[in-house]
Order: sequence, then structure tokens, then C-alpha cells
Amino acid sequence: MTRLFAAELLKLRTLRSTWGFALVAFLLAGLATAGNIGGTQALERHEPEFQFRIVLDAAFPAAVLSLLLGMILVTNEFRHGTIARTLLATPRRGRLVVIKLLAGAAMGAALMLVTLVVTASTAAVWLGFLDVTLELGEAVDGASRALVGVVLAGTLGAAIGGAVHSQVGALVGALVWIFVAEPLCWALLGLLDAGGAAEYLPAASLGGIVDSGGGGLPFAGSVAMALVWTAMATALALLRTSRRDIT
Amino acid sequence: MIEVEQLTKRFGSTLAVDDLSFSVAPGTITGFLGPNGAGKSTTMRAILGLVRPTSGNTTVLGRQYRELEMPSQRVGALLETFDAHPGRSGRSHLRVLALAGGIAGSRVDEVLALVDLGAAGRRRVKGYSLGMQQRLGLAAALLGDPEVLVLDEPANGLDPQGIRWLRDFLRSLASEGRTILVSSHVLAEVAQTVDEVVIIDRGRLLRHVAIAEVEALAAGSTTVRSPDAGLLLERLVSAGLGARSVGEGRLEVSASPEHVGEIAASAGIVLHELTPARATLEEVFLELTGEPGERGA
Repeated sequence: MTRLFAAELLKLRTLRSTWGFALVAFLLAGLATAGNIGGTQALERHEPEFQFRIVLDAAFPAAVLSLLLGMILVTNEFRHGTIARTLLATPRRGRLVVIKLLAGAAMGAALMLVTLVVTASTAAVWLGFLDVTLELGEAVDGASRALVGVVLAGTLGAAIGGAVHSQVGALVGALVWIFVAEPLCWALLGLLDAGGAAEYLPAASLGGIVDSGGGGLPFAGSVAMALVWTAMATALALLRTSRRDIT
Repeated sequence: MIEVEQLTKRFGSTLAVDDLSFSVAPGTITGFLGPNGAGKSTTMRAILGLVRPTSGNTTVLGRQYRELEMPSQRVGALLETFDAHPGRSGRSHLRVLALAGGIAGSRVDEVLALVDLGAAGRRRVKGYSLGMQQRLGLAAALLGDPEVLVLDEPANGLDPQGIRWLRDFLRSLASEGRTILVSSHVLAEVAQTVDEVVIIDRGRLLRHVAIAEVEALAAGSTTVRSPDAGLLLERLVSAGLGARSVGEGRLEVSASPEHVGEIAASAGIVLHELTPARATLEEVFLELTGEPGERGA
């Protein structure tokens, strides 16, 4: 398992697209942090809640990127036909799905690390210049939540990729779900007076982990629901991948 | 070493492989032949665990492929479709495979040199020519120094120089005692290398014979030309040989040139031409498959 996992990480490292995603995460984290600090009143900057929010707001784009890169991690194999060669080295397909999930999680952790470094550096320099004292406890709390969320997003992305196989289908489907279908569900459930149920939907539960707003499910509940959705996608990935003929 | 037992594979309503059985003995090179669309690639993918049989079974080294421990070190494969990510360098592609297969990283440069890709190893694969892609595929197959090789149409896309290189390469692999199953739809590509041929068409086994037997089918008649063609015809027929006139003093005789020449000499008949007329291996192949040309894959 260790060598297969290492091979998956090497696959990621030897592709330019991975570094492109890391660069985008780098830029978005810098922009989010700068926007947050610059767009907040001077007094509010001293509040621990603000510093907690800085970390989580920077994590949101990292979570979306992690989800997409997790999908690409698997669907690239089918898009470029490399799945045949991968399965020749790892013919036990269930094992391959598990390794892909672990690689998705590791890649999410790496993206979050980039995000945290950029956020911490930007905040430390800027807030230091403004004579604002950093509350390390709040920042660490926010970073822990963000890490869990982004790692779960990478894992869920890999599971969705394993279930769908088509790269265009997975990426477009996920973006349509996050930005169109789920908001429609929210609206529909709201009309039916069942708005609370919407918090259990996939994007809402994943978003709940890195949402600093305080609405929706509590942190533990969001993590539990994200795990449920990941487990369901993984079951589909195992079924689909184990039955597919590689022609 | 490689066993295919009553293999049947359907894709929807299409029957790709139909109750196919054959085996490849250890240390032999077997040509796997058939027209395009005969079911060769599907069979090979079933052997490699990439396609699930509808019924029947395939084994390599006594086990189903997916049950092999460290399969990359035991079985090497070249598939018909290119299977490297275009954005990765050839060397990185092999490094990934080596890591996944538990193979020493030092083998990467060894196999790149073996297939003459040492200089191009650091270039991205999307810039490779078709021939270079095939060589990279062969390098991937040889990475684990496997005892069994399954090569699907390895000559596809190669220019004449590349085909000659491949033929020499297969010969050198054979001399190392590896078991090789190599598919082709062109018999001449593999005829000089293989010990046996398995010929299939429409997913069914037509023949599993030694290559010598196919060559014997190709060895046939003799064309002879003489100013005394009529007399020669009489002598040949009276000697029990099948012979017929094809005009302009020419005869076609179902016997070797040596035999025809001896009969003519004993009768004192002057000959102006004595030519062995061999059917090409391709003609024999097409006759066995009953196909005048290619079908769609």
C-alpha cells in the first residue's frame, strides 16, 4: 500500500496541472486574506473571531480546488487511458480506489498547507504593521477546522471521480451541483418549510466545516455528514470501478 | 504459463470472444493472429485482468492476473492503446510505474536505453512520435524484467526501420527464454520470431499450430518453362504429379523444383525456367481466416 500511495503522489508531483492548482490556491489565499483585512473596520481586527474567520475564509477556495483536484486525480486516468497501466500494477481495484482516496486526502492537506502559509504570512505582516496582536489560539482552531474540511473535500472529490470516471462529467456536474442544483434545493426546501434539511446536503455539509458564519450544522455534524456523503460516493466508486471493462 | 479456457466475452449484443481456449507454453513465443476485430485485444485484456470474462477463465503463471503478487515483476504488457499521460515525461511515466510495481528506480534508465529512448526520456510524452510511443510502451513492459510478456500489436505505427528493430528486439527477448504472446494482424511481422501461432477469427479459434506448419502450407508448386512443354507434361503426369499448362510453354506443377528438374533431366528435356512458386504467408493466413481483406475493428 505504501509504494502504491507513493506512486500516486509521484503522479501528482510530475504533472504541471497539480502545480497550477497549488499556484491558484496560493493566489486565492493571498487575495482572500488581503481582502478580509483590508475590508474590515480597524476595531474589528482586534477581535479573536475576526482572526478565526481569516483562516476559514481563505480555506473556502482551497476546499473547492481540493474537491476538483481530487476528481482530476481519478478521472485523468480514464481521460488519458493511463488506467490500464495503473491496473496492471494494481489489479485489485478496491485497493486502487482506497489509495486514490488517500491521495486525494494528502493532496487536500498539501493545498491547505499552502493556503495556511500564505494566509499566516500575509496576516502576520499586515496585522503586525497595523499593531494588531495575533490570537494564536483562534488561528489554530480555525486552521484545524479548515484542514479537516479541505482534506475531506479532496477525499470526496476522489470518490466522486471514481464513481463518475468522465472528467468533464465529474467537474461540470460538481460545479453545477454546488452553484446551481443545491441552491435550488435550498430554495425548494425553504418553500416546503423544511429548510433545516438543506443543511445535510453535500455542499452544505462540506461548507459547514469551513463556514465561519455559525449557521447550519455544528462542526461535528458537518464533518459527520461530509463523511456520510464521502462513504456513499466511495461505495459507488468501488462498484463502478470494479465492474468496468478497460477496453 | 498462459492459459485461456473457454473464454467468452460479450459487450452488449456484440460477441467479441467466443468459447476460446488455447495455452502458451513456458519459454515459447506465440503469435496471436487474426484480422482486425477478431477479438485479439479483448482476449489479451482478459488475460491481464482488464476485461471481465462473460464466462470462462484466463490464468498467467497458474493464477488469475489479479491474484499475482507484484504482477509488474512477473508479467509485462504492451497494450494497443497508448497509456502514458501526455503531460508527463517518458522517464517520469516509468518512474511512477517502477514505484507502483516495487521495481528499483535504476531500471528506468536501463529500459530507456534498451529501447533507444535514453535521450528522449526527459521530454514530455505528448511530443513523442508513434514509434517512440511504442518504444516507451515496450520499456514499460520490460521494466520489471518479467518472465512473461503480452504484447498487443507492437508493430503498430512503426516505420519499416522500426519494424525491423522490433523483430530483432523480440528475437533477443526470445533468446533470453521469456514466454511471449504477441498479437498481430500481419503474419509476416511475427513469422520470423514465433514458435507457434494461434489464429482466431470472429472470436473463435481457427488454428493453433507450429509456425513450421504454416510455412509448409505456404510451400507449394513449381513453375517450369520448356520448349518441349507438351512432352514434359506427359512425363510429369506419368510420374504421378499434378501438372497443368498455363500457356506459352509454361507448366504449373505440384512438386518441388528439385523433383521437376530431375524428371526433366532424366527425359533429356531442355528447361528455360524452373521457379518455386510459394504462396506468401499472408496468403496462407488469409486462406485460413477465410478473409479477403480487413474488417472493421
